[in-house]
Amino acid sequence: MTETKLTARNVDVYYGQKKAIDNVSIDIDNGLVTAFIGPSGCGKSTFLRSLNRMNDTIADARVTGEILLDGEDIYAASMDPVALRARVGMVFQKPNPFPKSIYENIAYGPRIHGLASNKADMDVVIERSLTKAGLWEEVKDRLHDAGTALSGGQQQRLCIARAIAVSPEVILMDEPCSALDPIATAKIEELIDELKENYAIVIVTHSMQQAARVSQRTAFFHLGNLVEYGETDQVFTNPREEKTKDYITGRYG
Amino acid sequence: MTDAGWQSPEFARRLAKRHAAERRFKWLGFSAIALSLAFLALLLFIMLRNGLGGIDWQFLSGSDSTSANVAGVWGATKGSLLTMLVTLLLSFPMGVLAAVYLEEFAPKNRRWVEWVEVSINNLAAVPSIIFGLLGLAVFINTLGFPRSSPLVGGLTLALMTMPVIVISGRNAIKAVPPSIRDAALAIGASKVQTVFHHVLPLALPGILTGTIIGMARALGETAPLLMIGMRAFVATPPGGITDPSSVLPMQIFLWSDEIDKAFVQNTSAAIIVLLVFLLAMNGLAIYLRNKFEVRW
Repeated sequence: MTETKLTARNVDVYYGQKKAIDNVSIDIDNGLVTAFIGPSGCGKSTFLRSLNRMNDTIADARVTGEILLDGEDIYAASMDPVALRARVGMVFQKPNPFPKSIYENIAYGPRIHGLASNKADMDVVIERSLTKAGLWEEVKDRLHDAGTALSGGQQQRLCIARAIAVSPEVILMDEPCSALDPIATAKIEELIDELKENYAIVIVTHSMQQAARVSQRTAFFHLGNLVEYGETDQVFTNPREEKTKDYITGRYG
Repeated sequence: MTDAGWQSPEFARRLAKRHAAERRFKWLGFSAIALSLAFLALLLFIMLRNGLGGIDWQFLSGSDSTSANVAGVWGATKGSLLTMLVTLLLSFPMGVLAAVYLEEFAPKNRRWVEWVEVSINNLAAVPSIIFGLLGLAVFINTLGFPRSSPLVGGLTLALMTMPVIVISGRNAIKAVPPSIRDAALAIGASKVQTVFHHVLPLALPGILTGTIIGMARALGETAPLLMIGMRAFVATPPGGITDPSSVLPMQIFLWSDEIDKAFVQNTSAAIIVLLVFLLAMNGLAIYLRNKFEVRW
């Protein structure tokens, strides 16, 4: 059964004086896909980036409120952002493999975290990660070729494999298909569906169709507010809020 | 003027004008290049004509002497090499670390960081003779390092080269796409790991190019070394970085000052040696850039 993985309570995110996220509270469950939708600039990516403290890298970003991972406050002084990001992985909008070999791309995370003590262990991690990301069959004979020489869709799956390799508990995806063609997108969506068995997945998407296809829960953001959050079916077929209905029916976007 | 269509004579006239402007620009650009290359060719021609005859084993292996036909360039060459070594060992690590700190770790939008940036840019523009005065005051008079030595010369030139390395290093680091930093941070690399495992290796070709160009400038520098006494007459090659020594450009300067006509050939020959060094360094810069450049 589902259990709550991430809990946000009264979260505000500021960029300098500007409030980008206003009082958002949400529970994100294990074993399913949660989609964040909303028009451009609504703060969905900002909120996503606060879930693994990637906002820390932006100079004047500030997060208030409470975000709990398994009941532990991720903004507490005792929480190391480096350890947190190993537990909460992230896949970005544009595939961003390191300009190194496929093997090295995946080996980097386990190596810095000391997850594989020798070459044989590492080989196992590499194969398992690539297999889970649905890329093993395509690249097993050229693991030492450059990761950047792969196609866009393959690169994105390589980035997913790289995130999986450090055994995260949550995977955050920031519009992972927006730079991909429809076939590559379909592959990633299939992959997301398989991955949800083992990870809590949060995906930000511009495409409502994609949210409807891959997610079980949908959160609709508008102007920094969480307008509506519920079962994906309910949000799309029978939205409670007028704003959600207007967005889904294409009144604005 | 109602028929301003593309078949009107007005349009044809304007089009011809635009093409003429284009031809004029190409011609101007070409003459600018030709003119500067002509000067280089002239310089090379004169030097080769005057100096080539003077380059033999005696010249390449000897040191300075009062008699022109025994005088050689090895003493000054060795002095230059030792000086460059000191400069490189000091300015490269310091310049790279400063660039990394300013780009990756220093808080953004703070007043003191802006001050540091302005100061470094100014430092790169300070006339070299002033660095010479500084070297004289600090390294020789205060710290008591040996006068005329490659150690003091190298320290002084390092002060001059460092800002060049910092500026080119910062540009190279800035050119590394932010997505690479995101990628490393998102799998739990620390800031230092992100910088040293990913950002710096990608920035290295740019940093090396800047470093070599800065070093080439230092190699040709004369003025600051005058101030710290490297214009002494040194008839034996320096044994180490604390021995009195000369450097190549200084040797050229000293010989060009000689009354004896026979030194004209020596001067030109020494210029050829210096130019060969400079060209080799620039060649190395291009080679390193191509070798380490990562494409994606």
